[in-house]
Amino acid sequence: MRKSVNRPPTPDVAENQEKEPTLQELINIELIESGEKERLMELLRERLIECGWKDEMKALCRAFIKKKGRNNVTVDDLVHVMTPKGRASVPDSVKAELLQRIRTFLVSAAL
Amino acid sequence: MSSMAKITHPRQQINGEILPQPCPHLAEFLSNNGSKPFRALQDCLRVKPPGGRASIRRDPKEVPRCGACGESARPRLYACITCAAVHCHVPSGPSHAAAHAFSMPPGHEIAVDVDRAELFCCACRDQVYDRDFDAAVVLAQTAASTLASSATSAVQQYAPENLRKRRRIDYKPWIPNLREQYLVGKNSSPLNGDVSDLPWGLRGLNNLGNTCFMNSVLQALLHTPPLRNYFLSDRHNRYFCQKKSNADNAAKKIAANTIDGGGNKSAARVCLACDMDATFSAVFSGERTPYSPAKFLYSWWQYAANLASYEQQDAHEFFISMLDGIHEKVDKDRRKPESQGNGDCCVAHRVFSGILRSDVMCMACGFTSTTYDPCVDISLDLEPNQGGSAKTGSTKSSHSCNGEADCMNSSQNCGVSTLMGCLDRFTRPERLGSDQKFFCQQCQVRQESLKQMSIRKLPLVSCFHIKRFEHSSVRKMSRKVDRYLQFPFSLDMAPYLSSSILRSRFGNRILPFDGDEHLCSDFELFAVVTHTGKLDAGHYVTYLRLSNQWYKCDDAWITLVNENIVRAAQGYMMFYVQKMLFYKASEKPGPA
Ligand SMILES: [Zn+2]
Ligand SMILES: [Zn+2]
Ligand SMILES: [Zn+2]
Ligand SMILES: [Zn+2]
Ligand SMILES: [Zn+2]
Ligand SMILES: [Zn+2]
Repeated sequence: MRKSVNRPPTPDVAENQEKEPTLQELINIELIESGEKERLMELLRERLIECGWKDEMKALCRAFIKKKGRNNVTVDDLVHVMTPKGRASVPDSVKAELLQRIRTFLVSAAL
Repeated sequence: MSSMAKITHPRQQINGEILPQPCPHLAEFLSNNGSKPFRALQDCLRVKPPGGRASIRRDPKEVPRCGACGESARPRLYACITCAAVHCHVPSGPSHAAAHAFSMPPGHEIAVDVDRAELFCCACRDQVYDRDFDAAVVLAQTAASTLASSATSAVQQYAPENLRKRRRIDYKPWIPNLREQYLVGKNSSPLNGDVSDLPWGLRGLNNLGNTCFMNSVLQALLHTPPLRNYFLSDRHNRYFCQKKSNADNAAKKIAANTIDGGGNKSAARVCLACDMDATFSAVFSGERTPYSPAKFLYSWWQYAANLASYEQQDAHEFFISMLDGIHEKVDKDRRKPESQGNGDCCVAHRVFSGILRSDVMCMACGFTSTTYDPCVDISLDLEPNQGGSAKTGSTKSSHSCNGEADCMNSSQNCGVSTLMGCLDRFTRPERLGSDQKFFCQQCQVRQESLKQMSIRKLPLVSCFHIKRFEHSSVRKMSRKVDRYLQFPFSLDMAPYLSSSILRSRFGNRILPFDGDEHLCSDFELFAVVTHTGKLDAGHYVTYLRLSNQWYKCDDAWITLVNENIVRAAQGYMMFYVQKMLFYKASEKPGPA
């Protein structure tokens, strides 16, 4: 059997899956099934590259790995450190564009 | 058994690529699951449309959600490789995937990211890599085995627009080995012993009647660090070369006379490398009065007169014909096949030749054909202005309504075109209609295809040619595009290398191709050939960067200029040299 020293806190007990899906759920499913989510991701990727966000994050990642030593960093560590910085530095124009795209999608999907 | 303290992933290196070792859990999994541990996953690999990213779905329509909490919108969803259970994961947060790994008996640690088809160890909370798994994903994304076997030159069914202009010359590129790299570096020491204020070798060139197209390119070549070092270290000695070719010709003449009675004595004498040698000697003699490259012009004219397609007066055409000329002569000297086999070509190609990679993928079946083409420069389209271009927009976001907008935005926030923007467009996937003749070997018909260029090998010196002259099919060239293009003094070519391009296409995995061959991807600008004025009544001027000062070379006149003047100039050809060579070559103590 495994030791439980590093066992992560047990997540909350699964909620009842039979309950009514929320609006957010519905939108998410619609986005996925229509393929719009994939297109949005692609658009977002492109925008983040164009505005230099990706390069900036890359540089920060490199710096972090250099500091910690390349054998002592996991993907989880990286994501944990980078997420707040990454979220904060997405340009407003990119957020606005995506929001507009999602709005248009919702109207056309008549949800 | 193993304590979970801190797991390190030692790395090994193969082919210059650093390969991460599997974590203990992956190693265990692999040893317990026979020869095809990922067999079950193979059927769940989905790629849509052809060329899209790979994902994992049992059923194509499935919306995966966490088995514990029902979430489908978490940043990461992982499917357990052993039992296929899907769980969510938030880095350093609550993780149902990790909980799954710990609540089951050993063997449920390895999972696959359902949206990326990348392997993850839920116990180590780290990405893991398996060569065979990654190869299977890449295969699924390209649907055919051509990439692995690469370079099947027989599959060259298309003529990419950007390569059309290139001369087809059969040569092997030179890749410096360690010893040569050392020698190149060592011999790139600064030239000293100059007493005047001007850098050594800075000498005006007299205009011999509309010859600024030649002067401008010559100035750039004369100050191309590896080329300069080659000629100044007497590697092509004109006296020796002429003597040798005279002897050869005499021998040939005797042989020819006995057969058909002679003729054919003209072109053989011209050696552009010899004329380069003479020009280098003159320019670096220490003499500062303008020099007249009349002999050079005459030789080039003799050489190029045989080539019907050259448009005189165009600096870029002149540049290409120059390199061809140097190549041809040296090639003749080196008839021995062995010396060509090891990539030891002429100096022109050692300095300027890189390799472009082109992937053309069938949109119907995903079959991909890969070709490699040597190139001595990269010709770039200016980014299209308001709607007036033949090239239709981006194919990445397959929305037709977005194509145009994407193009506009890619020029870095409204308006200013940049060299990087042009390179982005150059390496961006481009959709070709079925009329643009890609014959899919697998479908056996012409199909719509997706073409993507990337740089397989960087040259020592990169020349970028901006297509400012738009040729129209309706008689001769039609117009010149005067649009401003921003270019950086330091350029990182890494994003345009095949490895980067492939990584962005196939995700984060061990790729079954060999890596890019390059010394380093950092380049420094050292010469800009500019063009001002109209098509027919224009003028070429070159800006040179020597010892971190900019000099304007306007035929006979050389002046020191502020770098802002260079930045504002209308670049036609930009010459970048690998940073490693640049600093050693042209920097006096005290870098900027
Ligand atoms: Zn592990
Ligand atoms: Zn969950
Ligand atoms: Zn499991
Ligand atoms: Zn010669
Ligand atoms: Zn050559
Ligand atoms: Zn096909």
